[in-house]
Amino acid sequence: MLMVIAIFTILIIYDFQKFIRKKEQARVFVINIFIMAASMTVSFLLAAGRRPYSPSQWVEALLNMIGVLK
Amino acid sequence: MEKERISSIQMFLLLSGFLFGSTVILAPTTGAKNDAWLAIIIGGVGGIFLMWVYASIALLNPSKNLVDILQEKLGKVIGNIIGIMYAWYFIHLASLVLRDFGEFICTVTFPDTPMVVVIGVFAIVLLYAVNSGVEVLGRVSEVLMIIVPIVISIISISLINVHDLTAFLPVLENGMAPVLGAAFSFIAFPFGETVAFLMLFQHINKKEKLSKVVIVSAILSILIGIFVFFRDISVLGGDLMARSTFIPHITAMFIPGINVEPLIDLNLSIGGGIKIVVCIYAAAKALSQIAGISDYRKLTLAISTFCVVLSIWEYNNILELFNWAEKIWPLYSIPFQIVIPILLLLLSLRKKKVKKL
Repeated sequence: MLMVIAIFTILIIYDFQKFIRKKEQARVFVINIFIMAASMTVSFLLAAGRRPYSPSQWVEALLNMIGVLK
Repeated sequence: MEKERISSIQMFLLLSGFLFGSTVILAPTTGAKNDAWLAIIIGGVGGIFLMWVYASIALLNPSKNLVDILQEKLGKVIGNIIGIMYAWYFIHLASLVLRDFGEFICTVTFPDTPMVVVIGVFAIVLLYAVNSGVEVLGRVSEVLMIIVPIVISIISISLINVHDLTAFLPVLENGMAPVLGAAFSFIAFPFGETVAFLMLFQHINKKEKLSKVVIVSAILSILIGIFVFFRDISVLGGDLMARSTFIPHITAMFIPGINVEPLIDLNLSIGGGIKIVVCIYAAAKALSQIAGISDYRKLTLAISTFCVVLSIWEYNNILELFNWAEKIWPLYSIPFQIVIPILLLLLSLRKKKVKKL
């Protein structure tokens, strides 16, 4: 868990200090924060041993629901 | 628009590397067993047609990439929604190839290293490549892609004494159905995945050579596929080949006296690396364009991080990965690889006809 926090802190500081220095548009921050938050949440859950349903499983369930997969 | 330009040779090598990609370790036609060569030929013909569709879309819409074309043909709102879906598809594909790489390296080369470390380190190198831009990517492919046929030749020549040339017989022992199923898988993986190149085709300097480049790289990929199949089956035999996880790795183990495993790692790093870089570039470029961000590099770190997390998140184990890649990926890919591109081609042709009138 600590490792996940450390890695994401380094990545976020590395990226965001550049954005702040260059006075980037708000949308750059919003998209980056969204993707990083999603990555961090999934990483925490995986580190805690609570693997959430993955997109592959969603796709499989969707294909099952529409009857493409048997 | 960026003024980055790559030559037709560089585009050819990028496409060949992309097609070679994870087929170094995964054979999409294994379902056809001894008749995989037939599946490669049938699927290859379909793949050439699909890649010709992508090239035609790019030629009918010069200086435009996939997102520009979607916005122009389907309107801003629908175009942007489908553009986001494509960005997701490219991220998903990149994570799938990252996982292939991680599984192979952690199973064969570094069994004691955690997979997240292997994938993370590889992703850092690839992030540097994506941020360097298309021109650098083209030049790197010129340097690296020459290694791929050399490695295949070294392995094949080393096995010249160990083979049974009748191992692929009898032909069509299980009928045509498995062959057609495997051929469809072969169209989706790897040929259909070159839809990501619709984000790159605008950078080729001689547009008139695009169709030729695309078709020649597809034919080369088919020929390499057939050659590697006959090499593997003549060394392993149909039964062992059907039961093997990483076929080229097992084949290489039959070389007497030496261990050439690192050469397969090298080929996977080159082919898989090109494929992941193209996918991350396509996803970052599509998202930045839709969001109105001037430079795709502002999103590459976040996207690469997400790809690494997604590659670990997606599958519990290698069997789940193989099952998904073989059975679900081709169906999931149909809208992205076939339906939307054909719709775009028809809309582009209609516009051209209206202009002529």
